[in-house]
Amino acid sequence: MSILSTLFPYDIYKGLKLTGRYFGRNFFSANRKKVRANLKHITVEYPEVPVHLAPRFRGRLQMLRDEQGEIKCICCLACERICPTQVITIEKDKKEGRKLPFPKRYTFEMERCIFCEFCVEACAYDSIILNHQFELAAYNREDFSHGTEGVFQNMFKPTPVGTFSVSADDDGNAPHY
Amino acid sequence: MQMTLTQTLVMALIQIVAVLAFIFVVVPMLTFAERKVIGYVQVRLGATRIAGGRKGLTGAVNKIMWWMGHFPVISFFRGLPTFMADGIKLVTKEDIMPAKADKFVFWLAPILCMVPAFAVFAAITFYPGVLGVFPTWVPIVGGLPVDGYITDINVGLLYILGLASVGVYGIVLGAWASNSKYPLLGGLRSAAQVISYEVPLTLSLLAPVILTGSLNFKTMSVELATGMSPWAILPLFIGFFAYITCGFAETNRVPFDLAEAESELVSGFHTEYTGMKFGWFFLSEYTNMIVVSALASAFFLGGHYFLPFGFQQFVPASWGWFAQPHLIFFLLKVFFLLFVFLWVRATLPRYRYDQLMSVGWKYFIPLTLVNLFIAGLVRFMA
Repeated sequence: MSILSTLFPYDIYKGLKLTGRYFGRNFFSANRKKVRANLKHITVEYPEVPVHLAPRFRGRLQMLRDEQGEIKCICCLACERICPTQVITIEKDKKEGRKLPFPKRYTFEMERCIFCEFCVEACAYDSIILNHQFELAAYNREDFSHGTEGVFQNMFKPTPVGTFSVSADDDGNAPHY
Repeated sequence: MQMTLTQTLVMALIQIVAVLAFIFVVVPMLTFAERKVIGYVQVRLGATRIAGGRKGLTGAVNKIMWWMGHFPVISFFRGLPTFMADGIKLVTKEDIMPAKADKFVFWLAPILCMVPAFAVFAAITFYPGVLGVFPTWVPIVGGLPVDGYITDINVGLLYILGLASVGVYGIVLGAWASNSKYPLLGGLRSAAQVISYEVPLTLSLLAPVILTGSLNFKTMSVELATGMSPWAILPLFIGFFAYITCGFAETNRVPFDLAEAESELVSGFHTEYTGMKFGWFFLSEYTNMIVVSALASAFFLGGHYFLPFGFQQFVPASWGWFAQPHLIFFLLKVFFLLFVFLWVRATLPRYRYDQLMSVGWKYFIPLTLVNLFIAGLVRFMA
């Protein structure tokens, strides 16, 4: 049997057939005009093509506003209390024409954040999310401090460093290119 | 017309420069194709950009290459600057020699590896006839025909096989001169491997020699394509697979690359080599691949004719262009076999050493001997 399988190397034939099929599929799809649905390869050409992120990807903490442009946060301090690394600090305040408390100061120290998403789970008012921003590197330590006002990075917008990562929409679909 | 000595020399020089240009274009393209082919097999894209930022020269090159990606065929050639980067890196890299290396042999080894690989091309026929005629206004060689081969040696195949086996001395000497344990092991493995595969390789090439009764490259390739009896297809078919497998072992390519088994021997015989000295080893390996592909396509795949394995004899003259020999057929076959080298590299894992030896001695030598016997029968019947 051994001599037969050596003289007629069917296993080598099968392997070559498989790799040949993959080669043909990727070669002919990659070197046609780029239509996302036709591409068979898994390479993401990252800076030019936005990354396809999973919907549950946990990026940077971001505060949300409601339809009127009001901050949704009501300072229940649930996120501050549940945070395992204590990166969230909230200062309560009253505001004219608003029944519920208003966060005068909401700071987020990203340098210690472990991106566990406990704060978002604890929030009863859906006022914070972890967005899909993953390019979080910065040159200065201060750039990791985020807040609602003042010198801090803005909590309502993506970090200006991450120019290429505001990619996927909420369904996790990469935009068409 | 009788050529003068000057004319002969200048004509040979022109042909040599053309062949060298062919090698120096094909080898870098082969390294580039290797990245791309293996990339596509592994559901990747291969090289599509060069290192650097999004600004400056590299950024501009990368932008151009991204733009190239939108066009069907041009898309494959993204990442082409990587082979230039490879070349620049090899040439400008620091040349380190181990303190206890044998200086002279350490220098000699890459040369011994490279020169035979190039010199083999002298006997390879790219086209069995006249490629073209120089216009009369060209000085010295004006009005002279350009042959599709550099020399037409009567014992061309013997010359090729003899020179090709000199290449292993470069590997062994380089390994020994490095004065280090891993190169030495790699070199000895390579020597044992090449010696054991030289036998079935030569035996598989003997079948065409028996069938044609000639050692002349041109005569053999033309005869094997057109002038065989239909029975000759069988020995040619078996001989092709035996030859191409032994060719893989001869050129130290995957799955027989035990000489540079990087998981065991760092990188085998060229562990201590850096810079352009390593580059010559690299170049000679890829040149040897071209040689093996050229021999296989000339003797087994119908050479300069359209159909392989002697099927060309069934092609009627009414097919016109396809019934004639052409340079393009030969080059296409060579490039296909080079692709097969990359394809096999992307498919098969490395053989264990004893498996390699047993396949060589226990299976290929009997197989090629039987093949030789069949070829002799075919020759006897004809």
